[in-house]
Amino acid sequence: MVGLPYDCVANPHGAVRLTFEKAVAASQDADSVAALCGKDWGAVDLFRMFLFEEDGLSKVPILNKSSLPWIKPNTLVRFRGMVQDMLGNELYIGAFKDGSTWRTNKFTDVACRPIPSSCQSFLWERRLFVCVPVPGQNSWILDAAPQVVLNSYDKDDASQHGEKRMRDASHDAMELNVLDEMDSSCSKKQREDEHIFQSCQSLVGEAVLQGGMLENRNNLGESSFSCLVKAYDLPESHLKLNDVFEFIGIYTFDPELVHMSSTDDSSFDLMEDVSNQLPPNKVPRLHCLVSRKLAVQDFLSGSLALQPLPNVMSDIRESLLVHLSALLGNDTVAAQFLLLHLLSRVRHTMDVIAVGKLSLNLTGFNRESASVFGNQLNDIIMELFPFSKVIPLSVEYLNNAVLQPRKDNQSGRLVTGVLQLAEGTHLTIDETHLQAGVLNSVGVENARLLKNLMEWQTVQYDFEYYKIEMAADIQMLIFSEGKSNILPADMILPFRPESFVRVKKASTEELQAWRWYLATVKSLHYSNGPQVQQMLEDEIVAAMREDRSLGYKDLERVLIMAQLLSASLGERSVSLEQWQKAKELEKLRKERLR
Amino acid sequence: MADSSPYGASSPDGTSSPIANTNSSPIPSSNGGQRQPGRSGRRYPVAGSPIISSSQGAYRTPLSSSRHQRRQATPSTPATPISSSDAMGLSSDAGDDADAAIDGEDADSTPVFVWGTNISVQDVNAAILRFLRHFRDPQRASDGGSNGGVVMEGKYMRAVHRVLELDGGESLDVDAHDVFDYDPDLYGKMVRYPLEVLAIFDIVLMDLVARIDPLFEKHIQTRIYNLKSSISMRNLNPSDIEKMVSVKGMIIRSSSIIPEVKEAIFRCLICGHFSEPIMVDRGRINEPTRCGRQECLATNSMALVHNRCRFADKQIVKLQETPDEIPEGGTPHTVSILMHDKLVDTGKPGDRVEITGVYRAMSVRVGPTQRTVKSIFKTYIDCLHLKKTDKSRLHLDDPMDSSNNSSGVDIAEDSPEYQDKVDKLKELSKLPDIYDRLTRSLAPNIWELDDVKRGLLCQLFGGNALNLPSGASFRGDINILLVGDPGTSKSQLLQYMHKLSPRGIYTSGRGSSAVGLTAYVTKDPETGETVLESGALVLSDKGVCCIDEFDKMSENARSMLHEVMEQQTVSIAKAGIIASLNARTSVLACANPSGSRYNPRLSVIENIHLPPTLLSRFDLIYLVLDKADEQTDRRLAKHIVALHFQDPENIIQEAMDLPTLTAYISYARKHFNPILSDEAAEDLTSGYVEMRKRGNSPGSSKKVITATARQIESLIRLSEALARMRFSELVEKRDVTEAFRLLEVAMQQSATDHSTGTIDMDLIMTGISASERIRRENLVAAARNLVMDRMQIGGSPTRVVELLEELRKQSSMEIHLHDLKNALATLMSEGMVVLIGDSVKRI
Repeated sequence: MVGLPYDCVANPHGAVRLTFEKAVAASQDADSVAALCGKDWGAVDLFRMFLFEEDGLSKVPILNKSSLPWIKPNTLVRFRGMVQDMLGNELYIGAFKDGSTWRTNKFTDVACRPIPSSCQSFLWERRLFVCVPVPGQNSWILDAAPQVVLNSYDKDDASQHGEKRMRDASHDAMELNVLDEMDSSCSKKQREDEHIFQSCQSLVGEAVLQGGMLENRNNLGESSFSCLVKAYDLPESHLKLNDVFEFIGIYTFDPELVHMSSTDDSSFDLMEDVSNQLPPNKVPRLHCLVSRKLAVQDFLSGSLALQPLPNVMSDIRESLLVHLSALLGNDTVAAQFLLLHLLSRVRHTMDVIAVGKLSLNLTGFNRESASVFGNQLNDIIMELFPFSKVIPLSVEYLNNAVLQPRKDNQSGRLVTGVLQLAEGTHLTIDETHLQAGVLNSVGVENARLLKNLMEWQTVQYDFEYYKIEMAADIQMLIFSEGKSNILPADMILPFRPESFVRVKKASTEELQAWRWYLATVKSLHYSNGPQVQQMLEDEIVAAMREDRSLGYKDLERVLIMAQLLSASLGERSVSLEQWQKAKELEKLRKERLR
Repeated sequence: MADSSPYGASSPDGTSSPIANTNSSPIPSSNGGQRQPGRSGRRYPVAGSPIISSSQGAYRTPLSSSRHQRRQATPSTPATPISSSDAMGLSSDAGDDADAAIDGEDADSTPVFVWGTNISVQDVNAAILRFLRHFRDPQRASDGGSNGGVVMEGKYMRAVHRVLELDGGESLDVDAHDVFDYDPDLYGKMVRYPLEVLAIFDIVLMDLVARIDPLFEKHIQTRIYNLKSSISMRNLNPSDIEKMVSVKGMIIRSSSIIPEVKEAIFRCLICGHFSEPIMVDRGRINEPTRCGRQECLATNSMALVHNRCRFADKQIVKLQETPDEIPEGGTPHTVSILMHDKLVDTGKPGDRVEITGVYRAMSVRVGPTQRTVKSIFKTYIDCLHLKKTDKSRLHLDDPMDSSNNSSGVDIAEDSPEYQDKVDKLKELSKLPDIYDRLTRSLAPNIWELDDVKRGLLCQLFGGNALNLPSGASFRGDINILLVGDPGTSKSQLLQYMHKLSPRGIYTSGRGSSAVGLTAYVTKDPETGETVLESGALVLSDKGVCCIDEFDKMSENARSMLHEVMEQQTVSIAKAGIIASLNARTSVLACANPSGSRYNPRLSVIENIHLPPTLLSRFDLIYLVLDKADEQTDRRLAKHIVALHFQDPENIIQEAMDLPTLTAYISYARKHFNPILSDEAAEDLTSGYVEMRKRGNSPGSSKKVITATARQIESLIRLSEALARMRFSELVEKRDVTEAFRLLEVAMQQSATDHSTGTIDMDLIMTGISASERIRRENLVAAARNLVMDRMQIGGSPTRVVELLEELRKQSSMEIHLHDLKNALATLMSEGMVVLIGDSVKRI
């Protein structure tokens, strides 16, 4: 047999079915089917092979708001997003015996054929996640994402049908080839299935179009797009709330479900599936086959293949520093601190301590300088980080904004808040607009949330009857006039611009290099051997001797700075030189504070 | 209709066991109906098929249907081969007189099996009967014998009688542990096949009741509770379906009460004839198409008569996981619970409950008109029993309440897993180094001196609260104040404590006010610094209240704390009414020294700069000062480096993990109320007298924190807490010694100069105390001589600088100005000189 008997992209269900039949074929008894519960029978491996070894990944279209109307149901899609809510488990008939053959419902919403009223069947479970595009994602990651040709899925309904039919025919022919050994009635049934699917699809087109139009009318932004991911056989710890993931799976759409969403049995509203609030015509379903957690590197465009060699690193570092200091009106000290801040991340958490965070408070701004320098900085941060947000802090904002994610127990959904952010998001808070004023209870709560995020890197989620602290990793930069006591940062640095020059925009190549540089340094794994640790201990003791006023926090800060300085040059361990340099920088900072 | 078959309860025309209410499996019923045809002994008042409307496609145990068919065809032969071993064993047991009677009555000659299982109906029937009749509470069995020789009736027989007497009770609570103790096999069957076994249970109970009181008309339901193991909500999986499970959680929502028709009566609109009651059959009422009266027979004339129908209550409740069961980075799971009849409204949103019930699945219909069934299922739990738990076990409420509730041990605590935990904790408590181990376990990653952590540990354990009959009460909470330079890890420690204590409050003293809820953002006009005035200070009853930046707290907020810290109440005056609320909280506050850095020139009191009245209410006041010895520096450096560079996984510490620590603390607080031993009391008194002497030593100024009566209370509390750490009921000598030591260390008293009230910073900094003392004494002597030589009594004042130069000339050692000032201060306290500005005058 030459060629695949199925098309992984256009007819993934075919592949699933085929592998299932193969797995079951050996023995038709219930036990062997029962053994498949919670396991993969080879379908996922097949897709993995197709995607990663046969370079099928580039053929898989990306599911997003704009592509949604043009992607056909029951095809393979990719979706990148953040896990916004976890809806729990869903039980479904995983396998049932239709006559004498076993069939599976895995990776579909509806049974491909009616399940006989009394038959042997098995209940399996899958997990449901609501995923949204990562909050605060910057436009460059969308450009950088590998472009997939939106296949020749024409907008014209008729031609779509025609094409589809042709495709199906060819598929079936191919399938028949393979299935020769199987009884022909079976494959005939399969062909019937295909027809059922097809008839669904014409409905889909309409429904989706309607949905799309509705949304257009409401003028909802990209943020309103969400996707219900149904994941199979994942260990509990695989996915966490707010993780950024790529899911590759089957996009399904069942027109029957659209009709039902309007019917609500009032007496059973409490039993209602949460997913019913996510109408299928607005929220696509994705039956996940392959999923992986995304790191910042995954958002970089692949063309750049730089080696983390010391000289390359230091060159890029130098150019970034020059750019940053130009943006900061030639304040080189501020630029150095800003770079360290941009490179920081929470390395790990111990009890309540988030180790490695380094928030920066640039003081000395007034409204004018904030609008000039602040905007420039925001622009560059947007270009450097995949996800970033700016909060203009004012009394009105504090009093009205919804920062805290909150569980709505009426609907069973987690209502997102501004602070539900993915790991590694950069958050700039512009405090220059803050005037004295009265806070209401929401304002106090919001201020507390921001402070907690700053100090402990946790965000409290409100579950109505109790609150849960979720760990976060958000880099926070604050612009303020004087030192902010509302948001006590790790480093406070008075900002002293020498001049203001409009800096020309960095070129794409530069930006790419900088992005790569930031991502590489951040993901650098430190390894400080016992000698280095001993050296640092000695240095800390010596520093304390020198200056008794150095407290625990000062020493800790210098240590983090030394670590980041070393990392910024691509070194994995702290050198004495960088420790000295960190101390120098700290001295400069202290001088400015005086 | 009149069905007493073993399957009756789950049959459509059976009784109203909660299981039947949502019944999904009509098979056993039809089965049973055929099995015992014409058994028309009793008529149950409750009837009707209580099937919920959408249970249409309720999930059925697989493999059922084919067997079902066969069984119907040949009803008299058992469908499943007997697995003889256990079944036979049981039935041979059943030779008990009364049981046998019932057995005989019910049984055909062939054993009857629940389809798809090897459960013999007769055996289960007999086993249940035996259990009900003969089970005796092992704990009460002993005193049963002394009861005048009369053999006591079994626990559940008494319960049944009670139900009959009260006439109102319609359910019998059965402790699953009792079932397990009496007959593990029955327990196993009950958990695995709850629908069938509970149906039999109901029938047995019914028979039993009928025997005692044939006139008793009500149906008694069996409510099983306290299963041997409970399952976490997120671990419920398809294999648990149709099994008895017990889950714990918090009710987050409950629906309004839904009346559900059980029995419908129709009336002919033409002739007024009432139909016979029509049972609900699988959620549907078969409306008669024509009038039943022979004379009328009008078609389509029957109308439902609402007020003659019978209804039952139903409610759907959402249960959500409690925070302690949620893994990191997860959101809580929820599950729907179906409540029936009496259980309706027993739990309200916000309650923590433990639900025992049957986990079920129900298929989702695609639309109201479409009968096709989707492949997706909704799951819910049919509630059998609801118990309010209030708190998760080891965070049990009130540890320090003085009311002694040692009487009743909670039933929940009997479970073996709990016992296991307790045993482990007890083992831990026996370790000789438990005190150090606890200290190490407390905030291991936060840098602070061990002695500070020890104090915090005492706070967590707490002393005994005491309520005297006279109305006087003594608090058991220990209040701690940490004073130290900014930039130390005080806040981290506070945050940690806040996380650790179940009802902790974390607040900043800055801008807190006792009155009003308004909060402000203010901006310093000069520096542009922004400050949040956070508004009300919220206190928690029975928790630790952590107050950061205590020194920044406004005066009136602090004054409120006076009352909180001593009386443990808060008074609120509003509209002419003064209300006093409980605020039994321990306060953990931290403050910066008044001049932002600790000033060694000033006395302790001046440095802290808080009203002495408030200070005296803190049991321990820690001065977190920088100690400059090589060893401490080294340890600090090691700590920082380790925190940053070591892989968190690689750190192996001889410490308890957090859950164990909290469990240990809760258990100790709950179960131990140590009292002072005579020896310890003696030590306390003598130690206290010693302390007072020191404070009142001649020449001391008032700036020393002297021992007061409050301090002896503190010492008692501390030593009680220390005894608790060892799970001891007796405060021993060593506890008192340690309490004294803690108090001293906290105040750096060993380093305090009692004559000036200042802390000898040099002593702390260098750690060379003895030689320093000598040096200082020498200096004082030298200064005294100099004054005696140079100055006349009442003569003209001399400048201090002059004296200093003079002294430097005389002696070889280096003398600082402040050394001399100290020396002069000593002379002043001796009454030899007076200091006037920069000058000294002899008197």
